This record gives sequence, structure tokens and C-alpha cells, in this order.
Amino acid sequence: MRTTVRKGLGGVAVALALTLSACGGDAGGAGADAVDGEVAGEVTLLTPIFEGDTGKQVLEEELLPQFYEEYPDVEVTIDYTDYGSLNEKLTTSIASGLTPDVMMMGVGWIEGFADKGVLQDLGEVGIDLGELEGEVAQEVLNAGIWEDKLYAVPTMLDTRFGIARKDILAEAGFDGPPSNWEELREYAIALTERDGSGKVTRAGLDIMTLDPRQMFEVFLFSNGGDLFNDEGTEPTFNSPEGVEALEFIVQLVREDKVEDIGFSSTDADTYPVINGRAAMMVGHNDVWIKVQDAAPEVADELVPFMINGTQEAMFHGGTLVTVANQSQNKAAATALLEFLTGPEASLAANEQRGNVPARAELLDSDYVQDNPMVQFAMENLDKAHPEGGVPEWLEVRGEFGSAIEAAILGQKTPQQALDDLAADAKAAMSR
Amino acid sequence: MTHTLSNRLQQPDVLETGSAGKSRRPRKKLSHARSQRRAGWLMLTPALIHTGLWIAIPVLATLVLSFTDYSVFQPPSWIGLTNYIEIWNDDVFRKATWNTVVYTFFTVPFSMAIAVVVAVFLNKKMRGRSAYRAAFFLPQVTATVAIAMVWLWMYNPQYGLFNGALAFFGIPGQAWLANPDWALSAVVLVGIWQGIGLKMLIYLAALQNIDENLYEAAAIDGASAVRQFFAITLPMLKPATFFVFVVSIIGAFQVFDLIYVLTNGGPANATTMMTYEVYRSAFQNFRMGMACAQSVVLFAFLLILTVVNRRLTGGDEV
Amino acid sequence: MTTDIAAPSAPVRRGSRRRRLSPQRVLLHVVLVLSAITMVMPFVWMILTSVKTPAELAQFPPTFLPETWDWSNYPRALEAAPFLTYFRNSLIIATGHTLITVVFGAMAGYALARVQFRGRELVFLGFVAMLMIPTYTKIVPQFLIVKFMPLFGGNDILGQGGSGWLNTWWALLIPGGLSPFAIFLFRQFYLALPKELEEAARLDGANEFRIWARIYTPLIKPAIATVSLLTFQESWNNFLWPLLVTSRDDLRVIQVGLAVFQQEGNTQWAYLMAGTTLATVPMVLLFLFAQRYFIQGFTHAGIK
Repeated sequence: MRTTVRKGLGGVAVALALTLSACGGDAGGAGADAVDGEVAGEVTLLTPIFEGDTGKQVLEEELLPQFYEEYPDVEVTIDYTDYGSLNEKLTTSIASGLTPDVMMMGVGWIEGFADKGVLQDLGEVGIDLGELEGEVAQEVLNAGIWEDKLYAVPTMLDTRFGIARKDILAEAGFDGPPSNWEELREYAIALTERDGSGKVTRAGLDIMTLDPRQMFEVFLFSNGGDLFNDEGTEPTFNSPEGVEALEFIVQLVREDKVEDIGFSSTDADTYPVINGRAAMMVGHNDVWIKVQDAAPEVADELVPFMINGTQEAMFHGGTLVTVANQSQNKAAATALLEFLTGPEASLAANEQRGNVPARAELLDSDYVQDNPMVQFAMENLDKAHPEGGVPEWLEVRGEFGSAIEAAILGQKTPQQALDDLAADAKAAMSR
Repeated sequence: MTHTLSNRLQQPDVLETGSAGKSRRPRKKLSHARSQRRAGWLMLTPALIHTGLWIAIPVLATLVLSFTDYSVFQPPSWIGLTNYIEIWNDDVFRKATWNTVVYTFFTVPFSMAIAVVVAVFLNKKMRGRSAYRAAFFLPQVTATVAIAMVWLWMYNPQYGLFNGALAFFGIPGQAWLANPDWALSAVVLVGIWQGIGLKMLIYLAALQNIDENLYEAAAIDGASAVRQFFAITLPMLKPATFFVFVVSIIGAFQVFDLIYVLTNGGPANATTMMTYEVYRSAFQNFRMGMACAQSVVLFAFLLILTVVNRRLTGGDEV
Repeated sequence: MTTDIAAPSAPVRRGSRRRRLSPQRVLLHVVLVLSAITMVMPFVWMILTSVKTPAELAQFPPTFLPETWDWSNYPRALEAAPFLTYFRNSLIIATGHTLITVVFGAMAGYALARVQFRGRELVFLGFVAMLMIPTYTKIVPQFLIVKFMPLFGGNDILGQGGSGWLNTWWALLIPGGLSPFAIFLFRQFYLALPKELEEAARLDGANEFRIWARIYTPLIKPAIATVSLLTFQESWNNFLWPLLVTSRDDLRVIQVGLAVFQQEGNTQWAYLMAGTTLATVPMVLLFLFAQRYFIQGFTHAGIK
């Protein structure tokens, strides 16, 4: 019957398509490593930032002309997406052999993509790691390094640290944010308010607005812990430091009751510290631009502080720029990468979203000086820790959230939750 | 059957076949049947080509890829049943399967029942009928994100409608969507609510083709409205009901957008669904082969359910 | 009064014949109004949010009615992306999909319902089975087929070398143009029609296409309206596929434009709702327009 014949042909077609695309993939990588002196030709850029008309205007009308002045023979075609669809975009592009020359992606993505041979080793195309180390904090650069080679350069960072309402703290007699875990706990308990029926009206410390994984990572790093060991062979988030961190969090919620489950969530459109529903939070540097929109009068009351267990630490994520291993035009692609991670482009990108530039020289820019949260983050970048560390990170991080939630909900003990997660991680890593 | 009709048609003033027509009838029937078959296949061809190319081939690819390890960056490598064995041992996927079955089991019958009743009522002439119809259809055209925000609002433990109403009766409220014991039920309720509009629309369309004279005759015979509903309306709606049932089950099994916006599969995987796990395998974990295997499992569930349903209801001829 | 007899009536008939406003009728309306309110809530919330200011949106507890009606959110939202182009594109694609689906879907549905041929049931089940694989799994193979389409976009006969249908109207219009969902729906509606019609027509010597086009299809106007509505809506709401197969802004669609307001962890609710409200208007209008086809399809009086 027609249908069966068609299906048979279809099967052949699929196999053919997949093999051809795979072949197409390999061919590109072999010969195109040499970087010519001439920087010319077409390059495609895939970006999850610079979206909308404003972003497009900034990128195409303000930034790219500067790039074209230096490299008039290059033509850049831009594919805009949003972070949520970046995975789908990358997957379909790579599967079909149409990998963009320059790709922007997030912290924690580099290890996996580099390990699978998708990314170009930037040392081979003229990017000097030594030079970068003088311009960008080492910890931040680490997010782009895999097996001692540089694969990505950061252009924009987003950080997580403690944020306090100094007016609310002052009311309770605290003249500044807490300086370590014990004080954090003490302040949080003192600042929590409940109404007659026992419902929380003000959380002493809001930790639920932030993504649970990132929130846990802040505490993990501040306790001297790490996600994986240096060799990247074992998960270490279930080490004693990690378990202590999770126990601290669970204790805050379940015993000290500084915040009720459901009080806030990652869906919340406003951070509770902004409208006074929380005295402190572990939050994002974009609280600054959010408060400008929502309640500018509160802006000056917000004070950033480091979470300090056995060391001061903050979490950082961000967007890095990479060059595809299969790019047919690596010279131009590298030039574009250097431009996008350079001071002008980086500043523009961060300004649009209230995020943190990676380049130390931008600390003196007007933008940073006018934004206390970003300034704080930049000044403490040496204490910032990225997530990631193994090629399977994207898979592991997907299950992180439910593990932390399980512990907070009391379904598992912190040790159990982290051990189970570590077992899943090891299973993924050994595949 | 056709006897009365063809007998009537044998009258000379209706057809001009005359005596020649009688002997020609068997051969005409045969060529008729053949031309019917040909026409049938011809009419199906565009749909067959389109579906064959754009859906059947991807489905076949899914089946084939489910036996491979395919991370997209490297060509697929054959691993046989490994993915399926992993699915069998995967607690999270098992939870997702259970959640999906529960979700489907509750949302489909309830929203179907409500939809058919609403459609019947909104089929009668009444004041404001168009407004009511538009109102019930509105959730279909409202953006999922808006629907999610309103329900998140209603479920909010601090100021939501549900806890407010419960407080009125002195019952303590719950953190509905943040509580693993209640989250799935909360999501099911939204599912039922959201599913009514589309079903109602289809039932309304189907009701238009039910002969009003049937009701007239029944009313004259003394049948009550409820009796008429069960004796006339429901049987005449069999084709529509079969459609709504199958499509609703397929849709419920593949629920994704709602989960993504309401709970992200949480808390602690309490509301994760099969399609959500497929999405995670494909686009978070970059494991296309696994995603395909999970899809095949989903497919198997649906196929079995549909075939069983077909056998039980014995087809959908009116 | 004919209205009470012709259609299935409310539980009590006697009372409703004499007095329009029987307690049962009132109850019916009360129930309908309450249900309608729950149905309309998200839509109303959408509109109300679209006119609030960011400051008001940050308040706790959240307000329902806006304190100030900031209509300037609308023009400002429209400036954020080339919405006019997106709107035009969405309109073209949705209309295209609807036309393709109604024509070829009705044909296929009719064949499966009323034309006798061997293997009919299997083909039908085959179509339904095609609905059972999630979109996310099909999307990569579908993308590959689009990219490797032979003799398009610089591809040779084996589909190598170019970009196939990517960044073209083909990729936007064809792959989603027909769905087994529509074929299935049409089949059920054709099934519900009486056999006598086709038998009379067949004996008359009419061929299948004529029977389909001239006799059966005009009788299922409500089905056509329903399929058109649902296909249009599905197409209008499509986000991922247009995003994946196009990189050129002049080919992108409304949902992609609206995604601009939902950046990582930072949603601009007022603008998003303003944009979404505007995007919903065409579908509401289409629904109201389609209502007039939800009328009695035909009467059996002719045959009897």
C-alpha cells in the first residue's frame, strides 16, 4: 500500500539526512583551523541578548558600525533568539550542520559544548589568555575554560548575593547587613513578622524568589564547598560543606521559620524586598533596575552584602561568546568575538539589562558608578563562583532544583537529597 | 435501507434507464465501486503526502532514534534497548507517567461532561447566548501565560481566592502549588477548566446537525428533557464524542505549556508530566535518543488507549 | 412557543411555557453567569494588567482594578519590535494554513467517512496515530527535512549545500499546513450526515468529488467554521517553529515578537499583556464572525 512504501522511503531518507548532516559536520572542522591574515567574509551570529527593537538598534546601529569601521570586509548576519529557546535553536542548527559562526551561550554550557567539539579553542585563533587575565577576573574567566583551554570569553555577568533593606533593619536595631551566617540567621529570625493567624507578613530572609539551585550554590560556595572536584571526575556538592549549607537553608525555613513555603516563588513579579514583604533576600543584581521601575523611593534603602559562611562568596552566571569549531571563517568570527567582549559592546549589553560587565576597566564607567548593585558585584568578582565544571552539567542542573526542593519540603534529609543527586550526576557522567 | 429509494427511482419519470438500466445495474455497480475507490484514494492523496512527509517521517525517525544515543553534536550511535531499560528504572519518569495518567483520567471526563451540558444549554435560544458562547470559548484564545498568572493568583497562599474562601469557613488554607500533596490536584483543576471551551465548541457544531424533528416527536410522546438528552442527543453525538474523547486524551497526555508556566514540573517533580520529561531530555540534557524513547513510550500508551476505546465503543457510526 | 419545544428544554417544561422567568431559568442564568465569569477572568486580567504602571504591578497585595489607566503602554509596547510586520506575517501564515487545512482536510475527511475502500480504517488510525508523538520530538527531524529540501535555497538534488526552505515562506506555510486533527474532525462530521444523500447522488451518476463538494460539504458549515477557527488559532499562537526556521526579522511572527517582553527572569508584564491583548483581538473577531455558521445544517424534510 502507498503508506507502507512511503514509510519505507521515509526511513531511508531519515537515515540519509542524518548521515549527511553528520558528514557535513566533520568536514568543516578539519581544514579550517588556519587563521588567515585577512579578516573578511560572512559570519553569522546567534544571540540571546540584544532582543527587541531597542536591543537590535543598539547592536546594529550603534555597535556594529564601530566593528565595520575596523573590518569593512566582514558582513554579519544576526539571528536573534531568547534564552528560553536558545537550546532549541542550537540543537536544530547544529543537527543540520548550519552551526552559526559566533554563538553566545550561558555559563555552565561551555564544558559540554567544548567537550563535544562544537567550540573552537580560542588560543589557536589568536586570543591571548594571559592578556585576558589582566582584564577580567580569573574566576569569571574560568567559566570559559575547559581542560586548560579557553573556549569562551564573557561579555555579561549576572550575580547573586545578599540584599538587605537597611530601613527595616534599622527599625529592629541592626545598623548594617549581617556579616556571617550566624548573624544572618539571627537577623532573619528577629525580622520575621507574622500576623494574628500565623501567616508570614514579612520574611526575615527571602530565599524562595531565587531559583533554588542558584540559591543553594550561594550558600555552598560561602561554606567553602564546590560543585565538582578539580579534575571534574566527582561531584562534591554532597561533601560535608555542601550538606551543611543545605542544612542551614532547611533549618532557616523549617525550624526558624523565616519564610513560609509558598510565600514567594520564582514566578513572583516583584522581589519581596522591594515592597517590604521581606527584610533581606538572596537575590539578583537586577534588583536595582527593578526597584527603579517599581518603587524608586526604596532604591536607596537597598544594601548589598556578601553571604559569608567560612568565606565570602557570591554566585555568578552570565553570557559568554564562542566561535564554532566548524566555522568557515574563523578570522572574521574571532574578530567579532573580540569586539562583542570588548568594552563598548559589553557595556551596552549590560546596560540594557542591568547586568554586570566582566571587564575590570568598566568599573569606572558611568553606568556602573550609578548602579550600586552592579558596582558591588564588580568590586567582589574575585569572590564570585560560576556553576558548571563538567560536560554533563546541563543535565545535572536540571535535577538540582527538585533535590533542593525535596530537602526544603522535608521529603528527604539534606544529606539524602544531595547524595541522591550526586548519584544521578555520577550516572550521567559515566555514560 | 436503499430499497425504498431505488424503487422510487425506478419510476420512469425519475430515471431514464428503462429496461436497459436493469441489466446494466450489476456492472455499473462494479465500476462504480472501483471509481469510488479510486476517487477515495485520490481525495486522500494530498493529505497522505503532507502527513507522510511532515509527520510520518519524523515519527519514524523518532522510533529509529529511540534505539540510539544521539546528542545532536555527534552522529547517533546504536545502543539498542538501553534507553528503554533506563526509562524502566527511572523514578522521575515513572512519577511523570503516573502524573500524566492521573491528570488525563480526571481532566478528560469532567471537562467533557461539563462541555456537553454547556453546549446543549447554549444551543437553546436564550438571551445572551452569543455572549455566553464567547465567554466559554475565551480561555482557548487567551494566552497561556495570562491563564497561568490568574490561576497562580487564585492559588496564592497569601491573598488568593481559594484560601480566602476557605478562611471564610474557618478552614486553614494550603500553599496549593508549592505543596507537593496538592500541586497535582491544583493543576488538574486548571486543566479541566481550560479544556471546556474547545470541547464545547465541537459539541455545539455537532448539535447543529441533529434533526429537530426528533425532539418534536419525542416531546409529543411525552419524553422529559433529561430523557431526550440521553435518548436522542447523546447517541446522535457519538461521532463528535469519539473525536472529543480521543483528541482530549491525546491532548491531556501531551500537556506541556500549562505545566511549564504553572509549576515547572515541581515542587520536587510533583507535577512533572511525560512531555515535560521529553522536553528536558531533548533540550536540557541534550539526549535526543532518550527523548525519542520516552516519546515512544507515550505513543504506546496513547495507541493502546485509542484502540481499546475503539473496540469498546464499537466504532462511531451513527 | 416553538423555541421551547424545538430544542431540548430545561428540566421543567410546564412552567417555562407560561412564564419566561421561571426559577429554573433564573438558576440556569445564574450558573451560566458565574461560570462565564471564571472563563473570562484571565482575559479581563490580561486587559487590566496591560494598563497598569510598573509601580502598581509591584504592589502587595496586588490590585485587581488599575489605579490609573495607563493606555500609553500600548503604543510603547508596539515600539518594542516591528509588530506590524509580525502581524502581517502571522496573518498570512494563519490564513494560508486555514485554507490548506479546510480544502485538503475536508477532502481527506470525506474520503475516510463516506467512500468505501479497503484499508480505510487502517489509514484513519494511521492519521490519528500521527497525533501521538509530542511536538518537541518531531521538531528536529522536521527542521532537517526543511533544511535538506532538494533544489531549494541553493540545495542540489540531494539536498546538500544550501539552506533549503529555511528563511522562506515555504517553511512557514507548508509544514504546519495540515493536521490529522482537522482530518479527524471532518471525518466525524461527515459521518454524522445521513447515508441517503450520497446514495441518491451516486445512483444519479455523480462522481465522488461532486458529491463531496456540492452535497456534503455545504451541510457541515459548522464544522468548517470550527476547523477554520481552531486552525487559525493554532497557527496564530505558534512560537517555536517560526523562531527556528527563520532568522530574518521580516519573516517572524507575533509570538516571537511578544517573547521580547519575557527576558530571563525579567518580565515586563504591562507591555506583554498589552501586546498579547492586541494579538488576541483578531481571534475574538474571528470567533464572533464564525458564530453565524453555527446554525442548523439542514433538515431531513426533503428526503422524507
